Amino acid sequence: MATQAQAANTTTRTTSRRIRQGSFFNQTLPFWLLLPTLLIIAAIQFYPGFYSIWLSFQERQGAVWNFVGLRNFERMFGSAAFRESVGHTAVFLIGYIVVTMAASLIIALLLNRKLKLGGVYISLIFIPWVIADVIAGLVFGLLVVPDYGLLSPILSNPTLFPPNGLSIPSDPAPRPWIQGFPFPPAPAMYYLILATSWRALPFVTLLILAALKTVPQEIVESARMDGASGAQVLRFITLPLILPTLVVALFNLMLGGMNGIGLVFTLTRGGPGTATEVLSFLLYTIGFGRLEFGRAAALSVFIAAINLALIMLTLRVSRTEERVA
Amino acid sequence: MQASLPSSQGYAARKRLQPWLTNGAMIVIIALLMLPIALTLSTSFKRERDVLRKPPVLVPCDGPDGRFSLSECRFDIEGYERVIAPRSNPNSLLGFSLTGRMFSTYVPNTLLYAFASSALVFVFSGLAGYAFSRYRFCGRRALMVAILAITGIPLLTNLLALYQMAVDLRKAGIPGYDERMFIIAVYVGFQLPFSVWIVKGFFDTIPRELEEAAFIDGCTPIGALWRIVVPLAMPGLLAAFLLCFVNVWNEFIAGYLLITKRDLRTVMFGMYDFLSQNIINYQVVAAACVLIAAPVVILFLFTRKTFFQALTEGAIKG
Amino acid sequence: MSNQPLIPKRIAALLATFAALSLLAAACAPAAPAAPAAPAEQPAAPAQPAAPAEQPAAPTSEVKDFITWYQYDEKNEDPKSDERVGNEYLRKTIPLFNEAFKGKWRWVNQPQPFDKMATSLVAAVQAGGEVPDLMQASDASIIPFIKNGTVQDLTDWIKAQPWFADLDPSAVAACTGPDGRIYCVPVAMTPQIVFAWKDYFPDGYPKTPEEFKQAAEALKAKGVAAITYFGSTAFDGEGTPRFTNTLIKSFGGTFDDGQGNMKLNTPENVAAIEFLREIIAAGYVHPRTWDGTTTPFIEEEPMKTAEAASFPTGIFGYRYVNPLKAPSGKEYNKGNEEDMLDAITAGDVIIAPFFAPAGKKPGCGTGVTGFVIPTGAKNVEAAYDYINWVMSKEQNPDWVLGPGGGFPALRSMLPEIEARAPVAKAFYEQAAAAVAASECRPWYGTLERRDEAKKIIQSVVYKLTKEDPTADIAATLKAAEEEYNKGN
Repeated sequence: MATQAQAANTTTRTTSRRIRQGSFFNQTLPFWLLLPTLLIIAAIQFYPGFYSIWLSFQERQGAVWNFVGLRNFERMFGSAAFRESVGHTAVFLIGYIVVTMAASLIIALLLNRKLKLGGVYISLIFIPWVIADVIAGLVFGLLVVPDYGLLSPILSNPTLFPPNGLSIPSDPAPRPWIQGFPFPPAPAMYYLILATSWRALPFVTLLILAALKTVPQEIVESARMDGASGAQVLRFITLPLILPTLVVALFNLMLGGMNGIGLVFTLTRGGPGTATEVLSFLLYTIGFGRLEFGRAAALSVFIAAINLALIMLTLRVSRTEERVA
Repeated sequence: MQASLPSSQGYAARKRLQPWLTNGAMIVIIALLMLPIALTLSTSFKRERDVLRKPPVLVPCDGPDGRFSLSECRFDIEGYERVIAPRSNPNSLLGFSLTGRMFSTYVPNTLLYAFASSALVFVFSGLAGYAFSRYRFCGRRALMVAILAITGIPLLTNLLALYQMAVDLRKAGIPGYDERMFIIAVYVGFQLPFSVWIVKGFFDTIPRELEEAAFIDGCTPIGALWRIVVPLAMPGLLAAFLLCFVNVWNEFIAGYLLITKRDLRTVMFGMYDFLSQNIINYQVVAAACVLIAAPVVILFLFTRKTFFQALTEGAIKG
Repeated sequence: MSNQPLIPKRIAALLATFAALSLLAAACAPAAPAAPAAPAEQPAAPAQPAAPAEQPAAPTSEVKDFITWYQYDEKNEDPKSDERVGNEYLRKTIPLFNEAFKGKWRWVNQPQPFDKMATSLVAAVQAGGEVPDLMQASDASIIPFIKNGTVQDLTDWIKAQPWFADLDPSAVAACTGPDGRIYCVPVAMTPQIVFAWKDYFPDGYPKTPEEFKQAAEALKAKGVAAITYFGSTAFDGEGTPRFTNTLIKSFGGTFDDGQGNMKLNTPENVAAIEFLREIIAAGYVHPRTWDGTTTPFIEEEPMKTAEAASFPTGIFGYRYVNPLKAPSGKEYNKGNEEDMLDAITAGDVIIAPFFAPAGKKPGCGTGVTGFVIPTGAKNVEAAYDYINWVMSKEQNPDWVLGPGGGFPALRSMLPEIEARAPVAKAFYEQAAAAVAASECRPWYGTLERRDEAKKIIQSVVYKLTKEDPTADIAATLKAAEEEYNKGN
C-alpha cells in the first residue's frame, strides 16, 4: 500500500494548475479518479499479457509447471500447422481488407451525396454491425447448408459454377499457384471473407463517411466546374484528404481480422480440411482443445506482438500524439 | 462515375440525375446487405417439413402443384416455441414459465453481465475521462496514448492467461470470488479503454467556465463533476454504456471459455450450443438467431445517433 | 504541443508503469496476483455469511449433493434435440437414484458440451474448485487427464468390487494408463462397425474392396452412394477414430511404430488411401461426407434417408442415426434409439464388419465410455455408490443402451439387456458377429498426444483424398508423421 501512495505522489507531482488549494484528496484528485480504471486495466490487460509471456516458457507436467526454455516456440514455429495457418491468415486478411475497404468506400461515397434518406440508409446498413459474430456465422452457415440451405440451389448449379456446382462446406482449395502459399483459397475462405466483411463494413463506412464530411465541398465543386471528372476528383482531392482515416480503418480491420474467432467458430470450424484454419482458430485448438497451454501461449505471444506492432503503426499514422493534447 | 464527360455541362446534367441513381444504388446495396437477415427470418417461421425440402423454398407458400399462392402460406412459430419452450406453470406469475435454457438461464445471465459491466464502465470511464479532460499532470499524455493502444489489444491473446488467472484465483480461494465477478471484471477491463476515450472527448466539449463558476460558488471538484459536468456529458456516458452493453451481449469466446457452470453461461454460448443440438432443425437455429439478435438491433435503432457519434468520435482517434 | 512522434518511448515508459502496478498487485496477494479485480468483487460480500450457515447442519442426517458432468441435459426436453436419448435417460433415472439413496445423496447433474468437457474438467481440477464427483468420459481423454493429474487412480477400489471380475479385459485395458493403474470405470464398449441398408446389399455387405466396388457401381446406377462417412476434419479430427482408423487398419495399415512414434508411410496405408481416392473419383462416396465442418454430423443424413447405402461409424451411431427412411419407403420415426434397433430387427438395416483386402482381417477401433472420478471430488463415496448402482442388473442395461451406446463392459449383462429390451437382441447379435470378425483395438495404439495425432491423421487423409488427389501419398504421409514425431 505504501508503494501505491508513492505512485500517487509521482502521478500528481504537478497537480492541476487550477485547484492548488484544498485537501490532500483534492490535490491528488486525478489520481483517485484514474485509480479504478488503471487497476482494472492492469489486472485484466497488462497482468495477463505478462502472464502469457511467462506461460510460453512453461509446460504443464502433472500438477506443476516446468520451465522449458524456448521449446514451446520451437515446436510452434516449426510445425506445419503454424506455417499453413499463417498463409491462411494472410489470404484471409488481404481478402477481407480489400473487400471491406472497397465496399465501404463505395457506400460512403454514395451516402456522402446528401441524400434525403441518408439517415435511414446508414441505420439499415449498420444493422449487421450490431449482430454478434456468432449469430452472423450461424446465419451465413444456414444459407449454404448442402441441399437445405436457401443458397444451395444457386451454388450447386453446374452452369453457374462449372463443372459440378459449388459446395461451400466441403469444396477444397484448388492447387496453389505458389507451392506453400494457400492461394487461390477454398470457396469456404471466400465465404468466410464475405461474412466477416458483412459485419465490418458498416463501421468502416461510418468512419469513411465522417472523414468525407470534412472534405471541403468548395474544392470539390470548383474542381468539377473546372472540368475534372468524378474519378479525378476522387483520385486527386478526396482520397488524399481522407487517407489518414483510410489507414486507421485499415489497421482496425487488420486487428479485428487477426483476432476474430466467433465467425470461424460457427461458420467453418477451420474447415474444409484446414482451409480456413487461421491463427486465432489454431490458438483456440491448441490451447483449449488440446490443453497445451505452453505452446498456445507461445502462439498468443506471437499474435500479440503483431497486434502491438499494428497498434503502434496506427497511432503513428493517426498522429494521436497531437490529438491527445 | 468514371465515364462522366469532362465538361461542365455534362456535370450539371448529371447532377440532376444523380439523386435517382444514387438512391437506386443504395437500395440495391441495402437489399443485398439485408438478404441474410431476411432469409433467416423467413427460415425461422417455417415448419420443419418445409425446412427439410429439397430443393429449398424461399417462402413456404407453394401449393401441391408447386405454384405460389398466398393462401397456401404455412408460416409457423414452431421454431420459436422450441427455443422458448413455454410450459404451463400455475405457480408462476404469468401462468407459464419458459423452460428453454436460452430464456430461463442464458438471457438473464447475459443481461446481468451486460448491465453490471456497462454500469461499471459508465462510472469508471466517467471518472477517468474527467481526469484526462480537466487535469494536467505528469504522465497524462503517455497514459492516454497507452490506454488508446490497449483498445487494440484483443481479448483473444489474453484469454489463456485470464483462464489461468481464473484458475489461480479460485485456488487461492479469494473470498467472494466466483465466475460471475470474474467475467464481469474481464468485460469491464476490455470495454473500459475505448470508453475512456469516448467520454473524454465529450468532456472536452463542455466549457470549463461552467465548472469555474461552480468552484467560485463553493463546489468541490467532485461536486462540480457530479452537478455540472455529468449532466452535460450524459450523451457521451450513455454512449459508453450502450457500446459496452452491445459488446458484452455479443461476446462469445470469453464467456464460452471462462465460464464452466451451466447456470452462469451466456447467450452466445447458447447460440453455439444450438448448432450442435439441432443438426437439421434449421428453423430452431434461425428462430434463436432472431430472438437473440433482436434486442440489440432494436436497442441500436432507437439509440443510433449516440452510437454513430461515439464510434466516429472514438475510432478516428484509434 | 510538440509534433515529435515520441510514442514508442512513452509507451515504453507506460508499459513500465503498468508492469510496476501489476507487480504491486502481485505483491499484495502472492497466490492470486489478480487482486486488482477487487472493485468487482465487493458485491459478492453477501456470499460469505452464507457459507458458515451451511455447516452447523447435522452431518448425519444431511442429504449431500452428488454432482455429475454428463454431455446430456435432463432439463432439455426438446424431443428433437440431437442428444434426446441421453437427455431422456437422465430425466428418467435421476429420480430413481435419488429414491434409492434417499436421505443420503441428491444427484445434481451439470451438463457440459461434449467437445469441451475434458478441457473444463482439467481446468476445474487445476483450480481445485468445484469439480464434479463423477464425469462421464471415454478412454480417449485418459492420457491428458493422467498428464494433468485430473483423475483419481481407481485401481484399488475397482479391483475390490464384486463386478470387477466380470469386466471385459479389453475394456479394463482401455482404462489403464501407461503406468498400469486403472483410471476409469468402463461401462460400455463402443467398437466401430458398419450400418448398411439391406436392400442395397442383397448379398450382404461386401467382404473385400473389389466386392465393394462392384456393389457400389451397381448402386451408382440407381443413384445411390455406396458409403457416407465422417470425412471432414471437424472437431479436431474426430473422423480419425470414426472412419479413417477403420479403413487403414482394415488394409493392414498402422498409425504408430509401437514405440510412441507416428508411422504413416507404410505400403498398406498408401494402398488404403489409393483405394479411397479411387472410390471417391468413381462417385461412390456421398458428397455429405465432407460437409461436417459447417454442419456437424451432417454425414449421417444420407444414411437416414437411404441416399447412402452404408455408414461406418461407432456402434453408438444407432443413438443418433434416426429417424430412418428405408429404401423401400418404410419409415422408422419414433425419433429415438429404437428406430435403428427396429430397423435392424425388421431386417432393413444390417450391421457388418468393414471390408478388407483378401488375407486381411477387417480393422475396428474400440473405445469405452464410462466414468472418471476427478481429483478433488468432494463426494467420492456417492460416486462409488453411483457406480455400483449403475453396475447393478437393474440399472446397467439402461445406461449401456442410453448414454453408453454400445456393448456392456460387464460380460454377464448382455442377456440381461436383451431380456429387458428385446428389440436390441438382433442388434447385439449382429454387432457381436461383426466385432468377432474384426480385429478391434484402440485407434491410437502407442500414440500419447491423441488429440494432436487424430487431427494430423485426419488432415492428411483429407488432403490426399479430397483436396489434392494427385499429391504424392508416401511423401505427404511422411511429412505428416514427422510433424507429429517432432513433438516427442
